[in-house]
Parts: sequence; structure tokens; C-alpha cells
Amino acid sequence: MKNSLVIFKKEIKEVIRNKNIWLPVLIITVVFSIALPVLFIAGSGALLDDGDTIDFVNKIFGEIGDPLEALLGFVLKQLLIFLLLIPAMVPSLIAPASIIMEKENNTLEPLLATPLKTSEILMGKSLTALVPTFVISTINFILLTIVVDITAYIKLGYAPLPTLEWAVVAFVLSPILAFIITMVSIIVSAKSTDIRSAQGIGGAVIIPIYLIIGLQVAGFFLLNILYLLIGSLVLLAVCPLMLRLAVKIFDRENILTKWKMNR
Amino acid sequence: MINVENLTKKFNAITAVEDISFNIGESEIFAFLGPNGAGKTTTIRMLSTLIQPTSGEITIDGRTPSEGGEHIRSIIGLLTESPGMYEKISAFDNLNYYASFYNISREKKNDNIKKYLKMFGLWERKDDIAGTYSKGMKQKLALARALIHEPKILFLDEPTAGLDPESAHMVRGFIESLKKEKTTVFLCTHNLQEASSLSDRVCIIKRKIIRIASLEELRGDNQNKKIEIIFKEDALRYSKLLENIEGVKVLEINKNIASLIVENPFNTNPIILRKILDNGIDIVYFNEIKATLEDIYLDLIKDEEAK
Repeated sequence: MKNSLVIFKKEIKEVIRNKNIWLPVLIITVVFSIALPVLFIAGSGALLDDGDTIDFVNKIFGEIGDPLEALLGFVLKQLLIFLLLIPAMVPSLIAPASIIMEKENNTLEPLLATPLKTSEILMGKSLTALVPTFVISTINFILLTIVVDITAYIKLGYAPLPTLEWAVVAFVLSPILAFIITMVSIIVSAKSTDIRSAQGIGGAVIIPIYLIIGLQVAGFFLLNILYLLIGSLVLLAVCPLMLRLAVKIFDRENILTKWKMNR
Repeated sequence: MINVENLTKKFNAITAVEDISFNIGESEIFAFLGPNGAGKTTTIRMLSTLIQPTSGEITIDGRTPSEGGEHIRSIIGLLTESPGMYEKISAFDNLNYYASFYNISREKKNDNIKKYLKMFGLWERKDDIAGTYSKGMKQKLALARALIHEPKILFLDEPTAGLDPESAHMVRGFIESLKKEKTTVFLCTHNLQEASSLSDRVCIIKRKIIRIASLEELRGDNQNKKIEIIFKEDALRYSKLLENIEGVKVLEINKNIASLIVENPFNTNPIILRKILDNGIDIVYFNEIKATLEDIYLDLIKDEEAK
């Protein structure tokens, strides 16, 4: 563990210096945790003046007492799913950069020739992707809560967050997703010498998230605590498989003889 | 210190190294020579426990890689053929990072970083990021990295590649000095002059081992010796005389110099000298031209290719 922390400490300094990682994260934070909720809640009164919106609310929720509260709850579900972009995106930016830079700089072989266990290297690299993801995700969920609650309290007189769904997404689904994406990024990085193509995995993972949002908006289903828990369990079951695959690929001999290296 | 028996490594259908065996003693400098693709890097990787042999046995410091991989890696230093450094952190931080993985105290770690950076003339630029270093400086920094934990065994793959003549001379001097510290050096190089000046023994490999011997033994293998006679007058005058001596195989004349390749010099050379003196010919020098490692290496590789 000590050696993994040494790796983590060195790597995290490089992550902090890397604008290519921070810039997209900052944009997502500003858009989904601040701008969108503020704009929606501030303009919610005007939204319900529109007949199409009323029809949409009736279609999704049926006849309800307060359409504005129902609409806000619906939008918050979308925002929570949007915030899963963070655990999907951040590891896919960090892990390939961390691994492919080792290949580009020819530093992997000297590192493997130290008494380090490969599991320690894997853990160090994984922590480098997972810790910032967890920190950024948590900051985003807290920021979203504060922004939504303050704006909603001022405009509507009540604070809708946190909810049980919020807690499941923030503290169960998000870390599980981050772990899976980290492992996938490590596996993809082994087969790639180009950071951008390896980082493209993040883009691929975002597609199902958009699909969930699209299906909700189209009225196919509405995410509730049951769906979230089932989704979390399914993804949790995938975790050991991804870990096993990553450990298999992150083997000294594989790294030196099968990974695509810069020569 | 290093025992290798019948070591073979195959990558699918390709055999990189086939049935090689050798022993290397403590404080020995062992040169490992061969053309590109001969299996040198694969052998170093097997000895460094980075890849597993397909068959055969390796014992280093009494341990096998399968049961004592971590121990072996803790007592070896490896300078790879393309040594890389973390480009965005300082030279000091690069060494400090690698040194953290060895069981040495913080004080010893700092002392060693200072010692090797000073030794390789990099101390003044210790805080510069490694990315700003020249190729030669990076090579020296990589060598310092391989030495940072004072390994018992050092694997050096082309240690002077990319170095200017002065730095290369300094590195060679340093490798030689390692003998006194009882460090075993496994030296892969294409620089045959370097191998002949540094090594106790030479191993010539081309997938299989062609020959392992000291330079003197390799020279002794060669029954045909080259000698050079410098006459006071034009050597052409004596060409007939020399050609007719039994045992003289090749004769080349250049002004007053005659170069001969003689068979069995122990018998032939006294005959040549007697003939010259009996005929009252004045000579200035009579020298044996020792075969260089390059001559021997090229002959052995050529013979191997002819098989």
C-alpha cells in the first residue's frame, strides 16, 4: 500500500497540472451543477405558461396537484443522471494519460524492474483516477444541492434536495461507475499508444447515459430508487470481472511484450 | 552470482533465446554481445524477472525469479536500451521517486541521490525538469537511477549510447570502478572497443550462445596470427623470400611494411626471423598484431551464419 501511495502522490501532482483534464470537468460543473438548475428554477414559472409543457407533465406524471413541483423533480432526475458524466469522464481522462505517458516516456520498464508488485502499480494508477473522480463527483453533487436548494427556496419556497435517489446516485452508482471506467481505461490504454484514442472510451460510455436521459424524456420510464438500485447492483456485479481483466492485462510480461509501446 | 541453465524463451512461434547457459561471478564484468535481434534484451528481461523463460533455470543471488522475484529486483539495477525519465518533474524528483521503492532509509536515499547526481555532473541542475535535459544528460540520469539503491548486480544495455566522448569515457571509468565495490556488471553493448576494455569475459550470442571466453582466450582460439615486419628498405625486395617460408599464408606489402598471416606462429615466427637475419636484412620492427575483439566477433558471427 505504501508503494501505491508513492505512485499516487507523484501521479496526482501531474493530474493537477494537466489542463486537459481540468477544463472539461470545470465546464461540466458550471453547466450541470450551476447554470442549468439556476436557469430552470428561475424560469420555471414561465415554463408552465406553455401548453406543451403542461401536456408533457400530464403525460409523464398523470393528474397531479402541483405540476411545478413534479416538473422540478423530473428535471432534477435528469440533472443527477447528467452528473454521472463526471465518474464516466474523469477516469477516462486520467487513467490513459497516466499509463500512456509511461509508454511514451519509456519509464514503464525501469518501474517494473523495481521491487514493486504489479498489483501495487495497478493500485497506484487506479487511485490516481478514482480519488479525484470521487472528490469531483462529491463536490458536484454538493454544489448541485446547494445551488438547487438556494434557488428553489428563493423562488418556490422549499428545498427539494437531497433525496434518497440523490444519495444512491452520489454515493453508490457514481463510485461504481468510476471504478468500472477506470478499469476499462486501463485495459484500453494497454492496447493503445495514443492518449486521445484511449480517452475516447469516455465518449463511448457517455452514450448510454444520454440514452437513459432520452428514454426518460420520451416518457418510456422514469428513474426511481428501485431502478437505480437494480442498475447499481448490475454494475457492481461487473466490477470483479473488470478488475480481473485489468489485473490480467497489467502483468509484467504482458506489459513488456504485448502492450503497444513506443520504441 | 548469476547462474543460467538451458534458458529458452519463445514468443509464440519465434524463438528469441535458445538453450543458453552461463555463470557470472561476483564483481565480474560480463559483456553480452550480439547483432540486433540476437536475444540480448530478452535475456536481460528474463534475468531482471520482467518476463518468464519458456524453459530453463535462472538463479540470482541464490534465488529463482518465481520464488524470489522481489528480492532479485531489489538487488539489481537496470539501464534499459531506451531509458526514459518523467519529463515533467525534476531530475531530483525522478531519482527520489524510484528510490522510494527500495528498502533504504530517507537519509541514505538523499545521500545517494546527491552522490550520483554529483558523480555524473548533474547536481547543479538537479531542480530542472528532466524534459529540459539533453539526450546525454538523460542517459546519465538513467544510469544514476539504476544505481540509486547501490545494486549488487547492474544490467547495462548500451550505457554509453548517446554520450559525448568525454562523458562516455567517464561512464566507462565508472563501470570499471564498480569492480572494486564488488558489483557484478552485465554489459550489453555494440561498442566492441568498450566491451574489450571493460569486460572480464565476453559472451557472443545469436539466439544461441556462440562463444563465452575472456578476450585472451578468444585471441588464443585464433591459430592464424597476423604479424607485421618493418624493413629498413622497400619490403618488396624480400617478398619472394617471405612467401617461400612454410607457414606464411598471406603476404601484403606496403612500402617498407610487410604484413603476414602465419600459421602456427610458435614454429613459423622463429623461421622467419632466422631467414631475415641469415640474409643480412635490416629490420626496424617485428610485431604481432593482436586480433581485436571486433575481428574475432565478426569472424565468429560469420562462421555462425555460414553454418
